Amino acid sequence: MSRGARFTERLELLWLGATVGVGLLGLRLIHMQVVRNQYYAELAERQRTQVIAQTAPRGRVYDRNGEIVATNQPAFSLIFLPGKAQDPARLAGLAESLARELHRDRGELHERLLEAAREETAIHLAENLPLKTMFKLSELKTLYPGVDLIVEARRYYPNGAFAGHLLGYMGKVDRRQWLRLKGKGYRVDSWVGRSGVESRYEDVLRGVDGEIRMEVDAQGRLRRRLDEVKWKAGGNLVLTIDSRIQAAVEEALRASPSGEGAAVVLDPRTGEVLALASVPDFDPNLLLLPEWDLGKRAASTLPEFNRAIQGTYAPGSTFKVVMDAALLQEGTVRLDERVWCPGYLAVGNRTFKCWEKKGHKWVDFLTSLAQSCDTYYYTMGLRAKGPVIERYEQLFGLGRKTGLDLPGERSGNVFGPEARKGRKRGWYDGDTANLAIGQGELLATPIQMAVVAAAVANKGTLWKPRFVKKVERPGAVEEPASEASGRIDLRPEVWDKMQEAMVGVVTRGTGQRVNIPGLVIGGKTGTAQNPLGDDHAWFIAWAGRPGEVPSLALAVLIQHGGHGSSAAGPVARKAIEAAFDLASAKVHEAPAEGAMIDEVPPEPDAEHPPGRAPKPPPPAEPAPAPARHVPAARPAHSAPAPAPKPADGDVYSEDE
Amino acid sequence: MKAESTSLRGRVDWGLIAAVYGLIAIGTVAILSAASPLPHYAQIIQRHFLALGAGTLLFLVALGFNYQVFQDQSKVLYAAALAVLVAVLVLGHVQRGTKGWIRLPFFSFQPAELARILTTLVLAGYLDRRAQRSGTVGFVAGGFALTLPVLALIMLQPDFSSTLTFFPMILGMLYCAGASLAPLGAMALYGAVTLGLPLVWTMILLHPAWSSASSILGAFLAMREMGGAFVVALLVIFSAAWLAWRLSLQLRVSIPPPYFMVGALLLAAGLSSAALVDRQLKDYQRNRFVAFLLPAADPRGASYNVAQAQIAIGSGGLWGKGVFSGTQSKLGFLPERHTDFIYAVIGEEMGFLGTMAVLGLYMLLLWRIVDTARQARDRYGYLVCCGLGSIFGFSLLVNVGMCLGFVPVAGIPLPLLSYGGSNLAMGLFSLGIIGNIYARRYAFY
Repeated sequence: MSRGARFTERLELLWLGATVGVGLLGLRLIHMQVVRNQYYAELAERQRTQVIAQTAPRGRVYDRNGEIVATNQPAFSLIFLPGKAQDPARLAGLAESLARELHRDRGELHERLLEAAREETAIHLAENLPLKTMFKLSELKTLYPGVDLIVEARRYYPNGAFAGHLLGYMGKVDRRQWLRLKGKGYRVDSWVGRSGVESRYEDVLRGVDGEIRMEVDAQGRLRRRLDEVKWKAGGNLVLTIDSRIQAAVEEALRASPSGEGAAVVLDPRTGEVLALASVPDFDPNLLLLPEWDLGKRAASTLPEFNRAIQGTYAPGSTFKVVMDAALLQEGTVRLDERVWCPGYLAVGNRTFKCWEKKGHKWVDFLTSLAQSCDTYYYTMGLRAKGPVIERYEQLFGLGRKTGLDLPGERSGNVFGPEARKGRKRGWYDGDTANLAIGQGELLATPIQMAVVAAAVANKGTLWKPRFVKKVERPGAVEEPASEASGRIDLRPEVWDKMQEAMVGVVTRGTGQRVNIPGLVIGGKTGTAQNPLGDDHAWFIAWAGRPGEVPSLALAVLIQHGGHGSSAAGPVARKAIEAAFDLASAKVHEAPAEGAMIDEVPPEPDAEHPPGRAPKPPPPAEPAPAPARHVPAARPAHSAPAPAPKPADGDVYSEDE
Repeated sequence: MKAESTSLRGRVDWGLIAAVYGLIAIGTVAILSAASPLPHYAQIIQRHFLALGAGTLLFLVALGFNYQVFQDQSKVLYAAALAVLVAVLVLGHVQRGTKGWIRLPFFSFQPAELARILTTLVLAGYLDRRAQRSGTVGFVAGGFALTLPVLALIMLQPDFSSTLTFFPMILGMLYCAGASLAPLGAMALYGAVTLGLPLVWTMILLHPAWSSASSILGAFLAMREMGGAFVVALLVIFSAAWLAWRLSLQLRVSIPPPYFMVGALLLAAGLSSAALVDRQLKDYQRNRFVAFLLPAADPRGASYNVAQAQIAIGSGGLWGKGVFSGTQSKLGFLPERHTDFIYAVIGEEMGFLGTMAVLGLYMLLLWRIVDTARQARDRYGYLVCCGLGSIFGFSLLVNVGMCLGFVPVAGIPLPLLSYGGSNLAMGLFSLGIIGNIYARRYAFY
């Protein structure tokens, strides 16, 4: 039936070959689709999903009156989700466009985009975008797949620079930090508290970030939301800070002659910090701004030095308070003993001058402190001897950190024969004389001096100051108790005398600027000689209502401020006025409630632990003051207190 | 027998038609799904159905048209094949760097697809005529010589991929025509050297460690830079052949000297053309080699396609993710998804069931072709079946093998399934011829 020879057996061989080939393909298909299906399904799933981290709102920080001092605000962030098939040329174009819009370095941006593409992780290109930039950038979103704008909760400090040194600021985790923290849920682009409360209470304030799983296409474009793990907001903190005092102190410090200084206000009954300020200060909001903008400039010139706990200065005449304790307790001095002050004292072959060149004539114990007579303290210091004074330095906590729960506190320097030991220079009477008026190598921080003032006010308790009233972790509220770092055991009458002497300073001595009728105020001025420049001005004080335990203790330092009374005194006065609600106390304008948005997406109560009502808005109390009646503030000079010698205004207060 | 041959039932190969349209149905669904995210989706679908209509028409025409006329008109067909290929070089427009398309009012046409079928028909006629001398070297050489102008014209476009399916067609037909194995083997050796050497080169270049470990290889590479390696390799080949001849004399094994000469010449020719191919290889083609040889070298680069195809197929599982629900194809991870990688789309969306259905239908198709070859009333029909069957079988193995990571990405579409109008229409036309050969198996003149 056929023409010509066929080689059908060869055809059959080919047919067999094809069958075997297809059989092999079938086996491979069984392996891939049936046996290894799980593996491939996971690969497919992984590359079609992209996880976008949702930064949890950080816990809020309140002052003791319930006023919000740190909260959150919604902000727009620009993110980039690298696609699986990202075109390098497109990335370069994107870097170009972004550099133009964000005013940033093109090369650096390109590098980051490439790295994100390599690592296949989403990154934040820019954060806290201003609205205007955001609209411009939303155009890029349509041009470049993978670029997207998201809303996130960002830290916000409603009062700007308010308590900046205490609150601290936020920063991006650096690479090294991230390696340490990544196990705790931090991402490469996470923010972390960098100083102050933000840093110290990072673990409380930081919430648990959420995640949104998005479906992305090969170009990295977001397609739809697959599912979401909700973030958990961080715990809240209630500080012991009183905004009114804090604001008053800050304002007064800024208005001081040098504009550099610090103030610490404590409650001597509990050791709670009512205010802690240092100028120059900074607005932590600036550091949250987009990097390319103000933020970078702010970060490079950040006045991070917190003089209140890190600045050490010779305490000058404020040290005479400690001297008094030593002299009275050790019985070195008789209260009615009078010392002739000709304006100087010869010690060995050196002459030590009193700040009052004309001399104070005859001075007794109370007058010596009120007038801050140096000659008296030279004399008594030499009588008490160096080692005793040094012991009292230590008794009052000088040379030791107060233990305030902030990083970077300095301990100052003890000055005395013991401290001198082992050094080339021996201890001489001249040193004792210097020490007696708080000079020489004696160094103290403002917070140490505040603790000293508080110890006098409460008669012996040396507090370890604290600034946290309540830690509200989700589900658990902690209220740390006050701790004393030491107890100064002096005879009760010694304390009484010391208080009397300090009251004298305010009523008839060098500290009359701080005299406020209706209050019992004890204080001591100080002008610390500074070989490097203008003198530092000190003022330490305590205050209370008559018949009550003093409820306020403070220390003010104005660096290069000149004289204690004129430079530091007004700050102390403002603090006391604010604390006791007097008219001139300016209250920090609280922003209208509605203007503050705390978190995104807005779910007002989400950050509160279940079962607890949200924090009520701050009571009417801190509202602006005009309605309040108070006795008109009188100029400090016209103090009616009988001044034995009109203190000659603010010319020279003491020392030198 | 007579009754059977005249009834429609006996004349029409329903198995073939079922296989063809079953495959087309699966392919169409897959194309509808795979192309849906593309911007010119409507155009793709329109063209697909246009080609399907035209192809069905061609299928019916070929089914009713006596295939033996093709044998009588071999010269006309040959001239037509050359004419369309010349025409495309003159009139065609460039697409993806290849001048392979003639643009007509409603569609573009790829002459290489037509030329392949025409060449099959012409070659079958030639081999049938010279069947008496099937044992000679001339038989094989003649077959190759006949197709050489066609291949050369396609290479001029240049379209490397389209020429690939010619080789299994030629070899398959020669083999089934009874060509003696020695020249066939020689040709296969030549082809293997031509295509294999660039592969080896690329492999060596990918492993710098090898050349530093072997000083001979290193020296050779250095010479390659200077162009001296080619001359040295030729010298090595000829001296090796001479040594082998001397050795055979010493051992008193009687192998005629021409064998050594031919072997050496063959290797030399293979080397020469390999050098040419190596130089002609475009970067993307070399990258495909790289992707195949070292899939892990650059997961985002050349091997990306293959990796994505495998993920698509593997993640499909037993039942698939559902038509129109494949994430790999819908989200754009799978490239060339409606053309070369259509099988991966089927694997993802229709699962093991779909992939097996395609393999099964293809086996039915191939079986119908083989069975038609067995029953064909003349050797010409038999050879046409062998040639066309080789094309379909080879395309299937290479395309599916590529999706599964067995074979380098060669750019060979899966006939009847991949999107591509010319390929579909010409595929249907060629299967119509098979159907006609079957229908006429008992016809007498």
